Amino acid sequence: MSLMDHMPILVILFPLTATLLCPLLSHFSMNIAKRIVITALFISVICSVVQLAQVVVSGQAIHYELGGWKVPYGIEFVTDGLNGTVTLLVAVISWTTALFSSPFEKRERGSNTLRSAGYYSMLSFLAVGLLGMSQTGDAFNLYVFMEITAISGYGLIACGEGKGPIAAFRYLLTGTIGASLYLLGVGFLYAATGTLNMSDLAKYMPEVSDSPLIIFSIGCLIIGFGIKMALFPLHGWQPAAHSYAHPAADPMIAGIMIKVPAYAMLRFFFCIFKSTSPVMETFLDVLGIMAVMGVLFGSLKALRYDTYNKILAYSSIGQVGYIAMGFAIGNMYGLLGAVLHIISHAFMKAGLFYTSGALKFRYDIHETTQLGQIYRQMPATSLTMTVCALSMIGLPPFAGFFSKWYLALGAIENGQYGFVAVLIASSLLSAIYFFRVLEKLYMDKKDEKIAENAGRSNKKLELPWQIIVPMLVAVAAVILIGLFNSYIVGEVLKPTMTEVILS
Amino acid sequence: MMIMSMRPAFAVGVALGAAMLILFLGNRIKPNLRECITVIASVTMTMLVFSMVPGVLSGNVYVSHLWRIVDGIELSLRTDSAGMVFACIASFLWIITSIYSIGYMRGHHEKNQTGYFSAFAVCLASAVGIALAANLITFFIFYEMLTVATYPLVTHHRDDKARISGRKYLAYTLVSGQIFFASIVWVYVKYGTLDFVPGGFIQAGSLGSAIMCIMFFMMIVGGAVKAGVMPLHGWLPSAMVAPTPVSALLHAVAVVKAGAFCVLRVVCYVFGPESALWCNGAQILGWFAIFTIIASSLVAMRQDNLKARLAFSTVGQLSYIILGISLLSAYSITGALFHIVAHAFLKITLFMCAGAIFVTVGLSEISAMGGLAKKMPVTCICFASASLGLAGLPLMAGFVSKFNILEGALAIGKPFAMAVLIAAALLALSYLIPVVRIFFSGRDIVPLHGPSYGFIGRDASLAMLIPIILTAIIAIILGFLPDAGPHLYQMATDAAYEITGEGGVYLAK
Repeated sequence: MSLMDHMPILVILFPLTATLLCPLLSHFSMNIAKRIVITALFISVICSVVQLAQVVVSGQAIHYELGGWKVPYGIEFVTDGLNGTVTLLVAVISWTTALFSSPFEKRERGSNTLRSAGYYSMLSFLAVGLLGMSQTGDAFNLYVFMEITAISGYGLIACGEGKGPIAAFRYLLTGTIGASLYLLGVGFLYAATGTLNMSDLAKYMPEVSDSPLIIFSIGCLIIGFGIKMALFPLHGWQPAAHSYAHPAADPMIAGIMIKVPAYAMLRFFFCIFKSTSPVMETFLDVLGIMAVMGVLFGSLKALRYDTYNKILAYSSIGQVGYIAMGFAIGNMYGLLGAVLHIISHAFMKAGLFYTSGALKFRYDIHETTQLGQIYRQMPATSLTMTVCALSMIGLPPFAGFFSKWYLALGAIENGQYGFVAVLIASSLLSAIYFFRVLEKLYMDKKDEKIAENAGRSNKKLELPWQIIVPMLVAVAAVILIGLFNSYIVGEVLKPTMTEVILS
Repeated sequence: MMIMSMRPAFAVGVALGAAMLILFLGNRIKPNLRECITVIASVTMTMLVFSMVPGVLSGNVYVSHLWRIVDGIELSLRTDSAGMVFACIASFLWIITSIYSIGYMRGHHEKNQTGYFSAFAVCLASAVGIALAANLITFFIFYEMLTVATYPLVTHHRDDKARISGRKYLAYTLVSGQIFFASIVWVYVKYGTLDFVPGGFIQAGSLGSAIMCIMFFMMIVGGAVKAGVMPLHGWLPSAMVAPTPVSALLHAVAVVKAGAFCVLRVVCYVFGPESALWCNGAQILGWFAIFTIIASSLVAMRQDNLKARLAFSTVGQLSYIILGISLLSAYSITGALFHIVAHAFLKITLFMCAGAIFVTVGLSEISAMGGLAKKMPVTCICFASASLGLAGLPLMAGFVSKFNILEGALAIGKPFAMAVLIAAALLALSYLIPVVRIFFSGRDIVPLHGPSYGFIGRDASLAMLIPIILTAIIAIILGFLPDAGPHLYQMATDAAYEITGEGGVYLAK
């Protein structure tokens, strides 16, 4: 086997190594330790691009057996167009977030570098967990990676100032329930089928589809994933966690930590359970109700806040509802819309949290009321904020519009006109809260404290380049995914969807 | 004949590129250089659009297929006759408004000019994109871009008044835009295509007539809001807080015309005359238009603010276009399309006059403008001629279009619509002629700002005066020779017969 065949594991191996090396190297030089992590994540990006290219060119999924152990005894990584894309998404956002964290780390680094090293170590560990969750083809292995994600997530949230530790503790309690329920669900599945390999599970499913074990399992999985992806009404932990997490890690936590469980839910529901299980229809209806309520709840709740992070956090609850809505629609376009929204929302929300971090970095701004005229000092931040906010509302030609297009297409094909009405209502609500932010940004009077500070810095760039680059990556992604969505949908996702999911 | 060509795409691209350049370079380069970008881009775009006129007149269609924008549909631009009419005036008037803008914004010492010129360019790019869009999704993308790009222009002054009218503008346009979006998806799922076809691709009877009527109005509402059809016109008068060139842009060039054009595309190119009449949508739309024409004229009479009066006049005049479309005969559609042209030149003249008056003597209330003609004779003469033209006086541009709509009403035997049109023409006289009378009355004018505005007893500055004279003259020429220049009248007629077929008349069955 050449190196090219090992891409699925290399994607994970580099950040895992960096996770371990980082605290060690930090005793000698924190800068080196930090760069190791950033480089490792960048290599991850390259590996996932290569891997996705292999899948798209060959038109076949890559099956990679870990350690050469044959399935179903060993663990298998399966990469197709769908999770190849998710992996790439995770890798890109992890890498940009690691870059983004660099100036924060530099500022916070005291005499004891262990805290910095721990932060970077956890960041890269979070990437390992999320990458693993998207790559694996084994239900129990997914649990392992889910816990990796959760543990590093708790740490990063607890790193936040103020209420960070409390938010982390709250997430720990809820998250553990979610993970346990997932494990329970997998246990039921194992009891019913005697296998943990996902493709095996799918194979045996028709034989056991009436078994009550399967029904319990689906129920557990909905709640388990629902907690992890902060789906209404299981979102309790999310607003605090997203608002108070470390500002540098927040883009990753808010951008992808709630998206990968959504992908996993898709994988389970449509690859394993499919429509062979008659109860699946009922569960999808329940999911649809949760989605609709989440979309409306999140959007309405976001109207109430002036704190930037809170607005973004509640808007995420609504946006996750879009994804769940796509699952509930359950036809080709509904699922394509859901997956496209996983991708586009990850970039938009990460972009918005980058701006939130940037505002905190330069002026310690938390409230939107302090934003007045800030665009004069921070043009790149304002550009990012504007583009991502317009995309969140779902205005063309940005990415958010097109995922909404596919969702609406799927919903109308199924005759579910109610979903379309909810989509419209939610777009309009998010228009209200995002235009309120933009209005403050462009039209309010300058905040006095900031006006005082404004004159002092006369550097060339508004912020260190490590902060600007991630923002511009997010902007570019939002625009390019928008304009060229049909190629992602048509060439990468659709073949996989047709082959694996709706066969 | 279909010609694959990137010219339509370049026409849009030039303006978008200019917007980017201005946005990123604007504050780093000298204002003169920045305005240069606007002027060069507008001239280039106009040349690109006009270079396709001969081809379109001889029956060719230039098509740019750009790339697949969503699964199964391409982002494509296409120059059919109707689109060319709109693209020609939008691009040409961009040159005029940008020259005028430079005079106005500098004369008025406006802030944030970089953002202003950049948003202006995006608006024009979207307007031409709307004109040339070959299918509904391309159309919608440019339509929403126009909505967003107009917002910073409406809220240009960034005070409380601007903020409120900005919110109002967004509330109207975004809500209608979302409803429009839902209906586009619906049409796509039901009919499997979104390409504009002259005469429509929706067959009468393919849905229940009530359902189809709902579909019709979900689509129409997108256009009706921007075109200011009552009762959806609320945003238009309050958007008057914007600088005057923006009002000119909103009212004459891009936004309201995009709305009217949207109605045309939906009625004639998506539904087609037959289905539009079959589901009763066209008739109901016609009644809304008639109501708007009468009501807006009555409201306009009571406005003392010159720009507000012109705003309500726009609401009325736009409904002429809507009425012309909803009558669905070849004459009336020709008239409607030509009224897009005529009204553009006439209304832009009026607005530029209002702006020139405001900058030069600082007045915005009509009652204070007595005797203005002594100070600003040229401006006042242009204003007077445009007013007469708008009222539909023979040998003026407004007459050609209105007479065509009248003929259309006659052809399908709707005497009531004719009566409305004649009454409305008289009403238009009644709200604009008094303004002209006040201008030319014997009173002595008291300039509000005197010397501080550079008022030295002469007319407005040349940068403002030249565009005014130019548009006024063109409006008069179009009255004598409607087909002069780029043969817009010919194109309007071609488009109308493409839609209705040879007979030119559809009667409700």
